[in-house]
Amino acid sequence: MAPHLLNVLWIALLVATVLTWMIGKTGHTGTAAVIAILIIAAIKGWMIIQDFMALRRVTFLWRALVLGWLLLTLCIILLAYWLGLK
Amino acid sequence: MNAQHHGHALRPYPPGDLAIWVFILAELSAFFALFAAYAFTRLRHLDLFNEMQLTLDSNAGMINTLLLITGSWCVARSVSAIKANHVSHSAHWLLAAIGTGVGFLIVKYFEYGAKFALGINLDTNLFYTFYLSLTMFHALHVVLGMVILFFVWNKTRRGGYSAHDHRGLETGASYWHMVDLVWIILFPLVYVMR
Repeated sequence: MAPHLLNVLWIALLVATVLTWMIGKTGHTGTAAVIAILIIAAIKGWMIIQDFMALRRVTFLWRALVLGWLLLTLCIILLAYWLGLK
Repeated sequence: MNAQHHGHALRPYPPGDLAIWVFILAELSAFFALFAAYAFTRLRHLDLFNEMQLTLDSNAGMINTLLLITGSWCVARSVSAIKANHVSHSAHWLLAAIGTGVGFLIVKYFEYGAKFALGINLDTNLFYTFYLSLTMFHALHVVLGMVILFFVWNKTRRGGYSAHDHRGLETGASYWHMVDLVWIILFPLVYVMR
């Protein structure tokens, strides 16, 4: 990936991290906060897998394994938190 | 550089040695199990986990996330540099990545130090058992990643990699990105979400 695109991703990942931290700092809890935090984590993970790990240009099976891990992990966490919020 | 790097064809295997990817998938499976165990244990001890989470230093967690993301970016820049045959740039980026690992461990040292000073340990309660074991297990991976990057850096600066042959560098890079990826979930899960 071109260096300037890597730089853009890096900045985006830093901003997303501060966003997650701010959600916690401002005392946001509950369904909306949990979903927002998990969506941010999904986007960050997706960027890292596709562009830092450079799986974007690798056959589907490999991408599916790692992206699948990300989604499955976040879904399991969502399920456990959702059960806790009921 | 061939056409594959420009997106005209998909590579059959991910960057680096296939063996590291088997290792990465095994590591990801282990962290999946740990994260699921944390989330479902929390479900049975909601009050304890919600109360104890507030005693964590989320600033330290956030700074460490920024450090690992920056380390991952440095390694990606290093791979990008070697593909352009910029050997010394590639080595410098690797050294910078190792620096972010050092920073991560320094933050962890102070974070753990503050907890240990309060007499907190693995037996304090279930939340702290998870917090300490999960983060220490992850920190071990940071250390291993730094050791791998050190050897890769050493070979890079001696001219051991080039635009045409940099599989070893990509192997180290892939492992380092995995360490970052896992923390991307660990940070919100343990420090923020409630």
